[in-house]
Amino acid sequence: MIKTIISFVSAIILSVSFSAFSKTKVTWSMESNADRDPIFLEKLQNAYNSAQDKYELEIQFEPNETRIESLRTSMLAGMGPDIVETPGPSYVKEYQEAGMLENLDSYAAEFGWKDKLIPWAYSSGVFDGSLYAIPKTHESMVMLYNKTLFEENGWKVPTTLEELEDVAGKIKAKGMDVYTYGSSGWQPTHEHLVGIYLNNYAGPQAVYEAITGEREWTDPVFIEALELLKRHMVDEGWWSGSLENYYAIGWDDFHAQFATRGAAMMTIGTWTFQATSLGIGQSGDEWGWAPLPSLSSNSGGPNFMIAIGTTMSVNAAAKNKDGAIDVLNWIMSNKDVVIDIASDFQFGEFVVPLLLDDSDIPSTISPQVTSYLNEYARITGEGNYGYCTWTFWPAEPGVHIWKDMEVVWAGDISVEDFMYDHQKMWDKARKKNETLPVPLRD
Amino acid sequence: MNFLSKKSYIAWYFVIPVVFIHLFVIGIPSILSLALCLTDWSGLGKINYVGFENFIELFDDRYFKKAIFHNILWTIIFLTVPVCIALMCAYLLTGIKRGQMFYRLAFFFPYMLASVVNCQIWKYLFHPIHGLGGFFESIGIEALASSPFTTKETSLYAAAFVDGWHFWGFLVVIYLTGMYQVDNHLYEAADIEGASKFQKFRYITLPMIRPIFIFSLMIIIIWSVPVFDYVYILTGGGPAYSSEVVANYLYTHAFVRFNVGYASAVGTLMFIYVIFIVGIFGLLRKLGWEI
Repeated sequence: MIKTIISFVSAIILSVSFSAFSKTKVTWSMESNADRDPIFLEKLQNAYNSAQDKYELEIQFEPNETRIESLRTSMLAGMGPDIVETPGPSYVKEYQEAGMLENLDSYAAEFGWKDKLIPWAYSSGVFDGSLYAIPKTHESMVMLYNKTLFEENGWKVPTTLEELEDVAGKIKAKGMDVYTYGSSGWQPTHEHLVGIYLNNYAGPQAVYEAITGEREWTDPVFIEALELLKRHMVDEGWWSGSLENYYAIGWDDFHAQFATRGAAMMTIGTWTFQATSLGIGQSGDEWGWAPLPSLSSNSGGPNFMIAIGTTMSVNAAAKNKDGAIDVLNWIMSNKDVVIDIASDFQFGEFVVPLLLDDSDIPSTISPQVTSYLNEYARITGEGNYGYCTWTFWPAEPGVHIWKDMEVVWAGDISVEDFMYDHQKMWDKARKKNETLPVPLRD
Repeated sequence: MNFLSKKSYIAWYFVIPVVFIHLFVIGIPSILSLALCLTDWSGLGKINYVGFENFIELFDDRYFKKAIFHNILWTIIFLTVPVCIALMCAYLLTGIKRGQMFYRLAFFFPYMLASVVNCQIWKYLFHPIHGLGGFFESIGIEALASSPFTTKETSLYAAAFVDGWHFWGFLVVIYLTGMYQVDNHLYEAADIEGASKFQKFRYITLPMIRPIFIFSLMIIIIWSVPVFDYVYILTGGGPAYSSEVVANYLYTHAFVRFNVGYASAVGTLMFIYVIFIVGIFGLLRKLGWEI
């Protein structure tokens, strides 16, 4: 009897060991986040590993502040993870130019990836005519507001500049900040606001023309847009009460301000949905969202700025290229997995741009997020989409647009001079073939 | 082969491992960095030779000039404020017999803390909502409601203050060490002559600790060139480049703007400046200065 038990246990151990050792490892260096990591481990890594016997996915988490640099160093050394995660297309471009990423054209054709992804998102990974990256998440900018507060005061959610300035006056009269937001901990936050004003004042068509070189960034319509932003930011102190406070406030602060009625509204990306739901949910107030108001007649009505949060590529020097491709294909072939993970983040993260139907949206996510997803699909489907700077601006102008905006707000240079410098950087980027893919407009 | 076992070479054998480490970690990257300043390398991909283009662009770069000016200002601040306070405190401490260790520890403590910890403490202290800013606003003093780190006019001085606060304790310790080495008979003779405390400091202490004092000035001048961590954490060089320093400017170009060639040009100029400073001190030593 004892012999039988020993033989049985040994057989189990051997078979388990054999299956573990027979799998080849696929590595993925992913941006770390304390709340999100366990979900990615359970629902992505472990789920993938259980779903097949060939590969063993291993996700290595690291904060983006250090990950971006360590990834670059390891890639330069001909090493790096099998799946390369970058913070956006400008990074993909750098790696692609250096020949460090695998051309995915043949896999995309074999597995039909183009038919699974939203067309503009697919094209955001196409460089020099070939696919090099798949978006890991896509996002947009929205305006959040404290719905309970608005209802109590009879305020109307603004859709135009006039309405926005009217409600801003009423909010300030109540001793609150118009918007809460800040750049402490993430200086590029400025580009969120710049993008909003460019797209909602000058309009997406004008921005598209400037990105594609048909129009100069020194065009008066862009200068007026940034003059308006400067007035709202510096003179009116709409964001967190003053420019200095905006610089001093970080992610936790502005969520706390929003939840405790320190401010009535917030301009932010859709990545906030989970944090907002949790934060304001504890205060007893209800939150709402709205597309960003049209700031002039140029903007052509409400639009959603489109953006890629992070991207997934395959390392050209990957030890397990087939495994990396298999992981990407598994993600794109398992809509349920993507929706399940995205739902855990209230569609604020891991929103792989797969083509979804209304029926795909689970009932577990908040009604605000459901309505956003429907509106986003409807409005962008009609072609009313704008362009986020971190997805469509090449590296150097992409940094200039937020880093040097502080100089404009400080009054050290004029908006005209700023845009003149900006145009020069675009000219340089164009000359060096550093521009990024941009979806064609209808 | 006999010369290899000569006694005079033995010390060399012991330093060989350190030399190798320095060669691979500092020497070779430094030489490569010097070479990269003549290229337009982005940090990845092809390297194109551009001659002195990066330097020409640098000398025309208003933010680089601003960063240099801030480094000079930073050096002047550190050569004066912490040095004066540290000298005074060290001198006063020599007169304290009981509890001196407590003061020494208290002054030195910020120096032992990681820069990120020091910075977070001061950032929270001046936070406009949770810190003193919120307090001043609540009592109606609006002028003090904003954080000095995010105000254009004060950001550089605020960052220098925090760095100085962490650094001056280190100066106290080295000045104190120097002061304890001064022969006590000199003070006794001065006492007999009726010298005041200030006169004893001016005519005995200061001349006797001159080598340590000059050394402290030298390290301040050299350390003020690559000043980075306090500026990076507290202000990021902003707002609007108001606290930008050369090392942070280099970092931004190398790791944010993908301008490694340009950043290398900045690094090369920093390197030349440090060599120049060290050269001056070396020259003064050769001329017989006791430093």
